[in-house]
Amino acid sequence: MINNTVFPFVAVVGQEEIKNALIWNVINPQIGGVLISGEKGTAKSSLARGVCKLTVDTELVELPLNTTEDRLLGNVDFEHAIRFGERRFEAGILKKADGNLLYVDEVNLLSDHLVKSLLEAASSGENIIEREGMSYRHASNFVLVGSMNPEEGGLRPQFLDRFGLYVEVKGEVDTRVRAEIVRRRIDYERNPLAFEQKWQDQIVEMSNRIERAREDLSKVVVSDNAMQLAASVVDEANCAGHRAELVIIETAKAIAAMDGRKMLNINDIKEAAKYALPHRIRDVYDQPEAPPPPPEPEESEEQQEQEQNESGNDPEDRSEQADDQVDEAEENPEQESDSEMPEDPADDQTEADDDFFQGGEETLDAPEQIFQIARWMSQTDKGTISKGSGKRSLMVTSSLQGRYVRNRCPVKGEIRDIAIDATLRTAAPYQRYREKNDMAIAINQSDIRVKIREKRTGNTIIFVVDASGSMGANKRMKAVKGAAISMLNDAYQKRDKVGMIVFKNHSAELVLGVTRSVELAEKKLTALPTGGRTPLAAGLNMAVEVVKAGKIKDKDMLPVIVLISDGRATYSDQGKDAFEEALKAAGRIRAEKIKTIVIDTDQSFIKLNLAEKLAVQMDADRYQIEELQANSLMTAVSLSL
Amino acid sequence: MKKNIKIYPFTAIVGQEKMKLALILNVINPSLGGVLIRGEKGTAKSTAVRALADLLPERDQVEACKFSCDPLNTDQACSECLEKIKNDQFKTVQTKMKVIDLPVSATEDRVVGTLDIEHAIKKGEKRFEAGILAQANRNILYVDEVNLLDDHVVDILLDSAAMGVNTIEREGISYTHPAKFTLVGTMNPEEGDLRPQLLDRFGLVVDVLGEGDIGQRVEVIKRRLDFEKESDVFHQGFNQEQTTLADTIQKAVEFLPDVSFDDQLLEIIAKISTALGVDGHRADIVMMKTAMTIAAYHGRAEVTKEDVKEAAGYVLPHRMRKRPFDDSQFNQSSIEEIVNELVG
Repeated sequence: MINNTVFPFVAVVGQEEIKNALIWNVINPQIGGVLISGEKGTAKSSLARGVCKLTVDTELVELPLNTTEDRLLGNVDFEHAIRFGERRFEAGILKKADGNLLYVDEVNLLSDHLVKSLLEAASSGENIIEREGMSYRHASNFVLVGSMNPEEGGLRPQFLDRFGLYVEVKGEVDTRVRAEIVRRRIDYERNPLAFEQKWQDQIVEMSNRIERAREDLSKVVVSDNAMQLAASVVDEANCAGHRAELVIIETAKAIAAMDGRKMLNINDIKEAAKYALPHRIRDVYDQPEAPPPPPEPEESEEQQEQEQNESGNDPEDRSEQADDQVDEAEENPEQESDSEMPEDPADDQTEADDDFFQGGEETLDAPEQIFQIARWMSQTDKGTISKGSGKRSLMVTSSLQGRYVRNRCPVKGEIRDIAIDATLRTAAPYQRYREKNDMAIAINQSDIRVKIREKRTGNTIIFVVDASGSMGANKRMKAVKGAAISMLNDAYQKRDKVGMIVFKNHSAELVLGVTRSVELAEKKLTALPTGGRTPLAAGLNMAVEVVKAGKIKDKDMLPVIVLISDGRATYSDQGKDAFEEALKAAGRIRAEKIKTIVIDTDQSFIKLNLAEKLAVQMDADRYQIEELQANSLMTAVSLSL
Repeated sequence: MKKNIKIYPFTAIVGQEKMKLALILNVINPSLGGVLIRGEKGTAKSTAVRALADLLPERDQVEACKFSCDPLNTDQACSECLEKIKNDQFKTVQTKMKVIDLPVSATEDRVVGTLDIEHAIKKGEKRFEAGILAQANRNILYVDEVNLLDDHVVDILLDSAAMGVNTIEREGISYTHPAKFTLVGTMNPEEGDLRPQLLDRFGLVVDVLGEGDIGQRVEVIKRRLDFEKESDVFHQGFNQEQTTLADTIQKAVEFLPDVSFDDQLLEIIAKISTALGVDGHRADIVMMKTAMTIAAYHGRAEVTKEDVKEAAGYVLPHRMRKRPFDDSQFNQSSIEEIVNELVG
């Protein structure tokens, strides 16, 4: 309806990987969709829209971020129910998407609950509703295209696995290519119709090719060999489950069909593997929340060592090295059975392989950073802090803020934040029998449903730093300042807030109120005085106060106290035993159930293990750091969360 | 719209030329992607945005359409207008472009629109109640303290800003309407940063500082006092300038399609972006469009290197990858250096 003209698919410069993945999915919906991960402004959504224009029968159906569960799955049509007193199913997005392409922009920001329902339908091809007195099912076969920006957090691995293919996009680097992108974009915006006209021939050619490939798809023969090769490639890559093999085969079929071939060849399988494996390779640490790891097959340690010895980090060599492995994989099936596959000349492969492994090279850095986030995320699993959903910082909130995703029956007595749509749906079928007092609809107490809202929150990290005259105070302050600012600066952790309390002489001071601003932190932390005695208890007590004050403002905040001290308390403002008092303060923290981390800076020859005692008292994680630096501090904090 | 709140005249704002130009450019060319104005309190940020209302051009719209649909652009029309246009049953009226406020406290349903509850209960029918995004179509959407906006509202803004369409799938309502707006945000960076993704959505960014010159500062106070004493008289004093600027903007709007550029400039732009390590291609596209709009504003038919240089100053600062311990001051000067070197 809106946006009849779309930037033509064929006019998009570069981005061949996304184009391929989309075309193959349109040819063969069995592939199971594609997840496109990458920077903003890389034509992701234009391409998704564009590919639909290349077919006659595929439409783009959108799943916006504001979607509520009833619209995704479908629900009772309350208009009909009021008028006729019967429950009629009103189809939702999953019905609309049947036979079409379902596009979810920013899929990583979607509520877990919706993602789950979505992927269930995607893999079963059916939407089953059993609720609110309704029993209904309908087919829901669609090509799922998701896009995400990893800067905003990852997707859970079980969700990742449901996407058939995975493509990572990057902007073009070549200046001439970049210039061409701008030229076409400006051309298009000046006159979209004329621009489309200019590309008409290529649009028609491409859509004919796709149409032909769709017809030919069923004629593509999958030999045992191909299956075995797929299996061994998957095995080599250390992927979990069997979905990967199936996806590779289905993708390879689409590739062959697009090429007008009826036989699969080795290159098809390899090409398919490039798209099907990256997000499925198991992480070394087998982290349950692991992000998309690099699209490089996991190698045994021995091989890695060997590789390092032989080739260092040269990408050329790496690809050759890995090439050998794939070759091995190819050889196996060939030995075991008569090969129906065309023998592939070695030089033909190299090009594809180089891409494959260079692709792996490029993405090597990124996951390391996301990996940290994965560790951050796991905190909610411990259940000590909140009833979070396990995904970092996305949680059900009891406040009136947040995104309305679902509804529920109110717990007795508590009726606020009414979900009016759900309430109407519940009440609707009974309207024919109710007294209505000139209204169209009468609502009983029992009809009322309330909203379930979700909200994303980051951690609020409060550093409590010992600035007393003990050794290395200056250096310590520098390290903490560095860590605080990097945490704020790091785009991945934008939702985190940081505050800092310093204790020295006779009191504690809130030198940086809880903030998200890098600028403010830099300003406030320019000069941090040190020296004097160690009023540890005052520092801890202030931290509790800051957390309590924060909770009043934001009920859902996730506070984390990071104590940096050797535990040698030397001052009590009440003239009591300073350490005893600190222990008491620590007990308060424990009673408030605040997540705490102790960074033990005790560097003296005879260790008194005071910080350890405090940590035990607070039920805190403790790290002994010899050489306190911003980096080590950040690592310790993120390990603990 | 209430007209009784007297708006400070745009042309009476002392100094802040960069901010003023960025706003004007976005009025001339709504496809630039808006502007984010960063700065301390009391630097006339909000005043400037609100003052813009007076200078906004008139344009055609389908009568009584709540999305202000353009009768000549069926590609971006709502379903009702599309129907009307097809059957030739509509009237065209001239309306002024508006500044629509998005308050920081706005809830998600008010922003995207929702089920009309009154209608549902009285009539038992589903009806879509339009939200702020509906009003914002073809207008300026202004978010004061944009950095304090709730995350999920930001998500929604990103969603519709991307395609110029607002798709509603909530509370039993399924509806789509055009939502192409110029996003203008103001913020005080001391109160927290913006999410990188939202930051990238803003075509241009301006950092404002208080005026340093004593004479200028005195002038700021004098004008403000005059305005508060007798706003009518004050307005009259600037009538001439206001009209002139509004005319210039109108002319630039008409002239913009005729502005052309040398292909070589595109490569210079690409080089600048690559040298500065800018993500994606939006920076390149916006830089060229901004340069074209600057040329149109000056009534020039050809984009010059100087235009590109000027555009770079608005487009790049917020798009460079920020690293910890980076001094933003250094960033600013390195942009200028690199741009100067490449543009020659």
